[in-house]
Amino acid sequence: MPGENQHGIGCTEFETLLTEAIEGQLTGARKEGFEAHRRVCSVCGPLFADVQAGQQWLRSLEEVEPPAHLVHNILAATTGISSTRVLATTPDASTTPFGERLREWWDSFVTPVAGFVRQPRFVMSFGMIFFSFSLALNAAGVKPSDVAKIDLRPKALRHTYNDLQIQVVKYYDNIRFVYEIESKVREIKRAARPAEPAAEQPKQNPKNNTSGQPDQRQDRNYSRDENQPVLAALPDAPPAVKGTTNRRFV
Amino acid sequence: MDEAQVVGLLVRRCVGGDAAAWEEIVQRHHRRIYNICYRFAGDPDNAQDLTQEVFIKMYRTLNTYDSGKGAFMTWVTTITRNLLVDHFRKSKGDRLTDSMDSAPSEHEDAQPLSEQIADRGLPPDAHVQSRETREFVHQALQKLSPELREAVILRDLQDMDYREIATALRVPEGTVKSRINRGRAELARLLQRTYRQVI
Repeated sequence: MPGENQHGIGCTEFETLLTEAIEGQLTGARKEGFEAHRRVCSVCGPLFADVQAGQQWLRSLEEVEPPAHLVHNILAATTGISSTRVLATTPDASTTPFGERLREWWDSFVTPVAGFVRQPRFVMSFGMIFFSFSLALNAAGVKPSDVAKIDLRPKALRHTYNDLQIQVVKYYDNIRFVYEIESKVREIKRAARPAEPAAEQPKQNPKNNTSGQPDQRQDRNYSRDENQPVLAALPDAPPAVKGTTNRRFV
Repeated sequence: MDEAQVVGLLVRRCVGGDAAAWEEIVQRHHRRIYNICYRFAGDPDNAQDLTQEVFIKMYRTLNTYDSGKGAFMTWVTTITRNLLVDHFRKSKGDRLTDSMDSAPSEHEDAQPLSEQIADRGLPPDAHVQSRETREFVHQALQKLSPELREAVILRDLQDMDYREIATALRVPEGTVKSRINRGRAELARLLQRTYRQVI
């Protein structure tokens, strides 16, 4: 039974002698008593076996090789640069690095705000905003993958700029070409038409116009005047001017 | 001139500002301190940092070393041990380890831990040569409580005698022996479990 004094020694004494027994320093009657107790005690016997096994496991561990630069680092840390770990264990407000102080300040500001914002109601709002924004982008045809594919190299940017410039110049030139053609056509038409004598028209007061006809303002029908088909059946004398004048003064 | 006198002379030279003497001390002790740190901390990076810290502390307090109070190696070991304990507390790596005195667990057929050793597993001699086994042992060592770990490291890996260990750990010699025995036994049980799972 455990704890009983068997073969001269008890469990307490067995544990006391265990170290010496493991290291082979027990002799004589003490050794015999120790061995006798080990064989019969259900606690001390297995304990002895465990301690012995553990010692053998530990002795199987070999010495590890330290890193090659360890001595150099130690010498640099002791006779030159101070170890950052040692400095870290003794913080001092005056020697705290600027980056660390900035981070502390940032944390003191951001942490309460982040805690406030992370409330469920705000989270729902942010979720809706995000959802709406992504829907709008989707409807506009903007894909995040396209944005990611944009080439921002200087060469590519120059190339894009040149392409855009060429497109603008071409568009402008095309419009100019059309205007020039139209202008030429007008000139040809004007040249083909016989010269009209400039009729003397008295200056009329628009307020005296009681004909009921709409005003022949120059800005109206400006382009149509030039393009009006010339009525070939009309007499040489311009009747329109004459008629109008006559009608007015009749 | 014996070893103690050589070391004493080196220390005096170093305190006097001799950089070569300090380098000699570093060369003599860095391997041993690194091994203690590596076995205690468990990984090479931490071991390297801790070794540097030990030497920085040694360099700063070398003038307080009194050869009359004990061997230089014991003094160095004390510094190392104190830093390891500080490191352990800071990293809060206190692991839950089974104790020989702990209550029976719900596994292993609810037997007391000290009775869960009927299965001896494979004999240790069959495994001691393999690298994998050494890795298992190293990992199991990390699972021991710091008190047991430091005791078995100093005894079984550094071959310090019980008196020196007691001085370094500042505990009675009987406590040192008890811790060493408990540490060895717990390590064996951990490894037996590991092998049972592997096999």
